[in-house]
Amino acid sequence: MDLPEKLAPIRKGLLEFVILKIVAGDKVYVADMLKLLGPTEFATQEGTLYPLLSKLRREELVDYEWQESDAGPPRKYYKLTAKGRTQLSTLNDYWKDLNRTLADFGN
Amino acid sequence: MQKVVNISLNGIAYQLEEPGYNELRTYLERAEARLADSPDRAEVMADLEQAIGEKCRATLGPHKTVVSAVEISNIIREMGPVEAPDQKAGEGATGGTASPHATASESGFHPRKRLYRIREGQIWAGVCNGIAAYINVDVTWIRLAVALLTLFSWGGLVLVYILMAFIVPYADTAEDRAAAFGMPFNTEELIKSAKKNFEEFGDRYRWRREWRRQQRHWNRQFRHMSEQIRMTTAQAGPAMGHAARFAGGIFVPIAALIGAAVFVVWILALFSLVTQHSIFGWVLPHGMPLWVGILLLVLLYTAVSTPLRAVRRSGQYATGGYHPAWGALHGLLWLGFTVLMFWAAYTLLPGVRELVDQLMWAANLTATTISETIA
Repeated sequence: MDLPEKLAPIRKGLLEFVILKIVAGDKVYVADMLKLLGPTEFATQEGTLYPLLSKLRREELVDYEWQESDAGPPRKYYKLTAKGRTQLSTLNDYWKDLNRTLADFGN
Repeated sequence: MQKVVNISLNGIAYQLEEPGYNELRTYLERAEARLADSPDRAEVMADLEQAIGEKCRATLGPHKTVVSAVEISNIIREMGPVEAPDQKAGEGATGGTASPHATASESGFHPRKRLYRIREGQIWAGVCNGIAAYINVDVTWIRLAVALLTLFSWGGLVLVYILMAFIVPYADTAEDRAAAFGMPFNTEELIKSAKKNFEEFGDRYRWRREWRRQQRHWNRQFRHMSEQIRMTTAQAGPAMGHAARFAGGIFVPIAALIGAAVFVVWILALFSLVTQHSIFGWVLPHGMPLWVGILLLVLLYTAVSTPLRAVRRSGQYATGGYHPAWGALHGLLWLGFTVLMFWAAYTLLPGVRELVDQLMWAANLTATTISETIA
């Protein structure tokens, strides 16, 4: 197994974290999320993102509102809920701890 | 020249070249199958349709009204395969090992068979369906046995059923479903076992496969029909949404009524065959054993009820998508109509009354014999 393949599960597991981070800013539309993620290691597609967002919404971590668009039907704009915000800060702390642990092991 | 197909994506009409339409339909059907266990299926499907619709719109202009097959291919590639997020992955950045890899590494592993309730094709709470999967018997037999045992136990079995409906969990993830059927759940294993089955039992199951294929064909045709109905309603504007719901409100009871009528007639025919060796006065041809008659009746019932079910499903699909509430409503109405019709048959038809009284007498006799033996 080569390296990128080995790291794929890590990226996959972190995608949820990344989405929470993106949604924590302004309200976002899925196409904009994809554009943001595109150039990063977390580049993904609608086929993955929509099911994930629906799951996060069911877990009450994100919510959406409909906004009119100038081209076509109204769009769903996602935002973080209070519960999502708590979870995000927990995840942030956890991530820092993980980094510290990794650093403690040296190289 | 290319043939063009009109479709509706989340309520907006588009024109696609036929090969593109076929590709898109395959993509959406596959997506729906992938999400079969997800509680968010309806929502995600609507989101996907809207996203595809938006991409389609981007390819159109004042002098271009049709989305070409190549453009559809590109759009599908952009969308990417639909993946249900792993339910058991937990709260995101935990261990780091994604479970798909864990399951792949154990690819010799057969899940233990477990009793689950199964949603697909359920009439009431999916208990019979689950039992059928568990002991690998056609669900019609289980339902027949339950119906008969309910009569013999003076309705006691209904309590057991309700209890099971509460205790036995639904098979909601791919793993659950695999365990419900005792089947391998990763693709590799599935293909392996399918190959093995094909080699071993190819001939024995051929007729069955053929029948399933026919069922799928019906489902597809009705779905295609309803797709067009849905498109017309979508084009007619939002006011039609209520009309569609209204149509569903009429459609579901009618489907339940017809289904219940067929079921009642079938049960009565079975009873009359078993107790009087004739179906409503029509005596079996000379030399035909009873079990052949019963088998014929069962086949007849399957032949009638399967297209009915297909029509019902496509009807629900046409009137605003399948919703569990419709299924529950249908189950409730079906049960109500069935009880009502049994009661009507019992009070109005002397032959039926005689039959039921005979059965009750036989049941009483059995009960007393059993209790005497025990005492």
